[in-house]
Amino acid sequence: MKRERSLRVWAPWLALAAVVVIAIVVVAARSQPSDTPTARASRLYNQLACPVCTGESVADSNAPESRAIRINVVRRIRAGQTDEQIRDAIVALYGEHVLLTPSNGGIGVVAWGLPVVALVIGAGGILLAIRRWSRTPRLVATDDDAELVEDERHRENLGEPVE
Amino acid sequence: MSTRHRVRWVALAVAVMLVAFGVVLAVQHRTEASVPRLVQEHKSVPAFELTTLDRQPVSARTLRGKTYVVNFWNSWCIPCRQEAPALQTFYAAHASEPDFAMIGIVRDDDPGPVRDYVAANAVKWPVAFDPDGSAGLSFGTTGQPETYVISPTGVVACGTLGPATEAELEAWLRIARAGGICT
Repeated sequence: MKRERSLRVWAPWLALAAVVVIAIVVVAARSQPSDTPTARASRLYNQLACPVCTGESVADSNAPESRAIRINVVRRIRAGQTDEQIRDAIVALYGEHVLLTPSNGGIGVVAWGLPVVALVIGAGGILLAIRRWSRTPRLVATDDDAELVEDERHRENLGEPVE
Repeated sequence: MSTRHRVRWVALAVAVMLVAFGVVLAVQHRTEASVPRLVQEHKSVPAFELTTLDRQPVSARTLRGKTYVVNFWNSWCIPCRQEAPALQTFYAAHASEPDFAMIGIVRDDDPGPVRDYVAANAVKWPVAFDPDGSAGLSFGTTGQPETYVISPTGVVACGTLGPATEAELEAWLRIARAGGICT
């Protein structure tokens, strides 16, 4: 009997968890990047900044440097280099600022980590505030309130009419 | 620890992190803007293989052992035109030296205007096209003119972004020939 009740309580939560897990698996599987050379080249063009433009990717820019990078990326893909090797080769020529997404090392760690740290600090602050609010009573009786209540009780006991 | 103290410590930690981030950024961008990256890092000259207007092959491999100047330019670039007299005087002074070479690499231009410019301005040094931009990319060029002086051992010794003067070219040639680097 007790087991049945606990099953009834947990069943919706288990179903919800199953749906969430399936959704995550489906989304993760569908968002796997394509590995065709064209898709890789296009992805890399969008990850690299035009070295002589302001706020333009290699994909969007028609500067000679961007055209040369596009040709070079295709050559490197044909030569069997990985995306990381290609990004590193372009960074070696123009520096870290040519990456539109921060790298996983050096200053990139700070760029990736800072929002996470800010999120954790923010969440911690909200939790602390909620805990404090839940401990603090919404209304606190003052001495005047207590005296008023006492007077009222006293009057009721004496049978005086309430005003 | 009271809540107020805790908040103060958290605020202090965040402030320290932001300052550290700012310092790292400032240090990262403290590079000399007029000096090409290859010169700042004194790397080996990148491999390039081009064909001159006279259909002669020219490459880093064939120039090894010489002190040579690589000048990226094109016919429509005004600073390149301003730089041209210095290059002409400098080349005339050293063209006969067996351990010296100079090459002009054309960026982002068409053969017609380049040939016209070379003929009109009596450009005597070999000029080569970089049709797919691979030579420019391997040098990490960001415009024109850009000049690099390569030592006999193949180290990018000196150079500049923007027009070079004759005095600079002479000084860089001396340094590169002696196996030194510009600091």
